[in-house]
Amino acid sequence: MAYPTDPIYKLQKEPIYGKVCAVNKQIGDSEPYRVLSIPFEEANTDYQEYLAWVAEGNTAEAAD
Amino acid sequence: MSDIRFEGWLHRSGTGGVYQDSAGNVGIASTQPQTRLDIGNGGFQVGPTGIATVTTINTTNLINGTPLTNRNLIINGAMHIAQRATSSTTSGYGDVDRWQHEYAGNDEAPTFAQVSLTTSDTPYTLGLTKAFKITNGNQTSGLQATSQINFMQPIEAQNIRNSGWNYKSSSSYITLSYWVRASVTQEYHGFVKTADGSNYAYPFSLGTLSANTWTKITKTIPGNSNLQIDDNNGAGFQVWPVAFYGTNYTNDSITENAWAAWASGNRSHDQTATWWTTNDSTFEITGVQLELGSVATPFEHYSYGDELARCQRYFCKAAEKGGSDHSVALGANYSGSNAFIHVTFPVTMRTTPTLDQLTGTNYYRYFSNGGYETFDDMNSLDTATATPEGVEVLKSGISITQGSAGFLRYQHASAEIRFTAEL
Repeated sequence: MAYPTDPIYKLQKEPIYGKVCAVNKQIGDSEPYRVLSIPFEEANTDYQEYLAWVAEGNTAEAAD
Repeated sequence: MSDIRFEGWLHRSGTGGVYQDSAGNVGIASTQPQTRLDIGNGGFQVGPTGIATVTTINTTNLINGTPLTNRNLIINGAMHIAQRATSSTTSGYGDVDRWQHEYAGNDEAPTFAQVSLTTSDTPYTLGLTKAFKITNGNQTSGLQATSQINFMQPIEAQNIRNSGWNYKSSSSYITLSYWVRASVTQEYHGFVKTADGSNYAYPFSLGTLSANTWTKITKTIPGNSNLQIDDNNGAGFQVWPVAFYGTNYTNDSITENAWAAWASGNRSHDQTATWWTTNDSTFEITGVQLELGSVATPFEHYSYGDELARCQRYFCKAAEKGGSDHSVALGANYSGSNAFIHVTFPVTMRTTPTLDQLTGTNYYRYFSNGGYETFDDMNSLDTATATPEGVEVLKSGISITQGSAGFLRYQHASAEIRFTAEL
């Protein structure tokens, strides 16, 4: 379990084409952790929240 | 037997009697019959084409234009469905489906819970056996300017847009009704709000509720030419049946029961602080219905399965929690270290959802080729292949045999894979 707390988002890659496929966010500081894997879909409100966070000048941690 | 022929009153007693005009139209308790048969000056009419018209059936509250089925635009208005939990202190979605709550400016978090009603509760006698209950914390600092506890359901714009409500017309109505009970006697407030274009709000008072007494709230809301409600799957309309606010959010000069341009500081009149400052005060609500027309009809009950399916458009699970070796889904081993787990949703979701998993040490186990790998969490979903109908969930960094199939199980009582497409 190695999710960032600052920045709070981390990009993820899929293994077939090696492309970034989602952005993850961990909520909570004890088990069970809640981990969100957010698709790049404009109508998704978690993605809207992520975009607002980026618009504030933040950058997600790069994918491994 | 001889014919009885007459013009004018056959017999009249008070406002009753039978009347026939020169055209042969007959009225009962109706001095100017407008059709072949007219009872009560238009209350019930037949003809001249033989079509009966009933303007109001008061015994059932059905009126012209009220749909007979699927009347309720609110989902889970009976508070029956609670897929996430039956109780939480979450700010957001945490318990009963489709209902979002927030709090701020408080000393102790409130508790939000689904509760069961009993035969002594008025809604129970109407078939409403569950309610949503807010239990306040101990707010020793009093009602601060930033204080708030609210309770809200956002509705997909296309569901309002296509409901039959002519929301641009001040003579077209929707009606909001629900049951409430508070532990403290005082005035309470709520509002509805649009969420497309320039937002507009319609604040209202619930009146002064008597402590520990169930009261039915009914608000008939007209359309307004300024409202914008799009034909899409975004949030278009919000229902806030009750909201507690400090003065950052209130304004005593606003007009209740009228549409006005949305301003965060104009959500209600200034609020009495008694409920807020009473430790463990409670507020319960159930039977929330928003429907086309100007009359609140009896609550439309759905079966558990039907209501669950409505909720699953916004939140569903790959499988319920179940402890060790609880089946979740099948997978395919793409390589020696990567497996894709395919999950098909029970209904088409509002949009491509977020994978929302509960994780921890050794929460999950993937079986393949006569062995298994145990791990803490799934890596992610794959946007490129995800749809509102289903997704591929990726698990990387495990040792498996390429080309084989596998299956995923929960391995811990708290493990759970969910999908959320809430508004």
